[in-house]
Amino acid sequence: MKTKSFLQFVGPSVAMMLLLLAAPLVLTFYLSVRNCAMEMEMVKIEESTPFGKKETLTQRAKLDASGKAIQICRFVGLEYYRKVLGIDAESAEPAGPPDAGGAVAKGDKAGNEFFGALRFTMLYTFVTLPFVLGIGFLLALAVNGVSQNLKGAFISASLLPFIITPVVAALSIKWLFRDNGLVPYLLSHVGIEVFWMAQAWSARLLIIVYGIWHVVPFAFIVLYAGLQSVPQDALEAATIDGASRWQKLRYVTLPHLMPLIVFITLIHLMDAYRVFEPVMVLTQGAFTTSVQYLTYHILLQESNPYKASAAAVLTLIGIVVLLIPLLVKTYREQKRGV
Amino acid sequence: MKKRPFSLSVLLYGGLLFWLVIASLPVVWTAIISFRQYLDAFSSPVKWVAPFTTENYTRLWIEKEFYRNFLNTALVTVFTVTISLTVGCLAAYALSRYRGSLGFWLLMVALMFRAIPHSSLLPSFFTLFDALGIRNTYFTLIFVLVAINQPFTIWMLRSFFINIPNELDEAALVDGCTRFQAFRRVIIPVMWPGVVTTGLFSFLLAYNDFLLSSALTSGDKMTMPAAIANSITAESETLLMQGVAGAVSITIPLIILVVIFQKQIVGGLTQGAVKG
Repeated sequence: MKTKSFLQFVGPSVAMMLLLLAAPLVLTFYLSVRNCAMEMEMVKIEESTPFGKKETLTQRAKLDASGKAIQICRFVGLEYYRKVLGIDAESAEPAGPPDAGGAVAKGDKAGNEFFGALRFTMLYTFVTLPFVLGIGFLLALAVNGVSQNLKGAFISASLLPFIITPVVAALSIKWLFRDNGLVPYLLSHVGIEVFWMAQAWSARLLIIVYGIWHVVPFAFIVLYAGLQSVPQDALEAATIDGASRWQKLRYVTLPHLMPLIVFITLIHLMDAYRVFEPVMVLTQGAFTTSVQYLTYHILLQESNPYKASAAAVLTLIGIVVLLIPLLVKTYREQKRGV
Repeated sequence: MKKRPFSLSVLLYGGLLFWLVIASLPVVWTAIISFRQYLDAFSSPVKWVAPFTTENYTRLWIEKEFYRNFLNTALVTVFTVTISLTVGCLAAYALSRYRGSLGFWLLMVALMFRAIPHSSLLPSFFTLFDALGIRNTYFTLIFVLVAINQPFTIWMLRSFFINIPNELDEAALVDGCTRFQAFRRVIIPVMWPGVVTTGLFSFLLAYNDFLLSSALTSGDKMTMPAAIANSITAESETLLMQGVAGAVSITIPLIILVVIFQKQIVGGLTQGAVKG
């Protein structure tokens, strides 16, 4: 294909990504080092009262000719980065205005919001990963062993957690675990009484349980497809050589599935870093936040797009660092392929 | 293969059954309590059987006009999928046929974009769309969703197009077709399986999106997931039960989708993987 026609074909797609992904990212950097505020002016208000004239001084927003408030924008450098990272604690504003509903992570002191969010995001990512791979692999092995006519139905039913709207899934889990819900009732029979949404550890546990539940079907289906292509002659040779069930699994099946395990890991890293809905639904940011939730919260609750931009830039730096191995791998592969 | 010992069989079927229960429990239980009054839905001890009522649904769909949110979602997803696939097919076809390094770099950049946390884009979106006065319009949400889906769409479609033999369109070129004619007459007729699968995932991404939809729409423009956000903090009992009914309403189309398109979804999930 000629370069000219290539450019024509990819044109619309590239234009859309430039306009709505690349440009906003650049703008985010720009916004993160700025601050705008309404220009205020002092006005004298004269009131005629029966006791003579009274003058009061009040502040109000200065309006321009068309009646809009005048915004003064200035360069503030890394001020908001310091605030989000909690570096200069003195000048950091106290945990947001009180009307933010106290929803800023209570476990973390004002200031180190980002590290608090990052810590939980990492915890979530790396705790869910082994469970997703492990349970997915066990399910794949199990389904591989059942009779053919059960497989279709089982795979259909298994897909449910993966394709369901995340916010709906998180709500459903919340309703299952809330007071007077089904799960606390069942658990009370075995002597476990926990108010799941009322403590940091249990709320975090719920988010992690949600994460595992949501992603296991993906790992299961990918690994199940991989199992279909395990070389049968290698398995037979191993049987003849007297390998046990476990040894065949360990030395024939697993190495064959390794590329798929890497693939699932990389996809999961990307998606887990974005964890948002369960954090939003299950704790509303109390006890725990994630990096994506932090930006959303600062933007919509604190209504501060500049501070939110600083949080967004830090979030982006985080994902780039996390993805370096993936990028290097894909780079090498594609270089070989092209 | 050797016959399985009995104990392993029990473990196997027991394990699968256990997973099925876990996988479906949140959805099934939500569906059950959606047909109950609040006091029957959340009670101690839990009621296994309770009077049946469709009140939550009538309240939600008629009084709260949830059908509007349903129509909004339908509109946004239909346009998002259509535009995503049209734009994506062109780009993916070119990426599967072009040999230069430009294509490789485009794919790498798209991969980076695939990983962006969506909330990182929101401060810019707010600033831009407010300045242009186009926040809270269907148009804006559709194009944002298309752009967000584009990296994934072109990667997936490309993996399908690569499997369509080069000879097919080369022959058309030799016969005097332009690139675009070759694409339209030769490739389009044979690309449908890949397009259907990619379309399904494109649909899921648009339909399931909560973060962008809830931030960019409000009032009568809200999609279903955005509208249900009210029930996250719902204190009132009727509001909460409407949320439950809403959750079920959102899920039903997805269940129908899985039943019809199970093969394509499974195929799509493994598409990228088997190559990896």
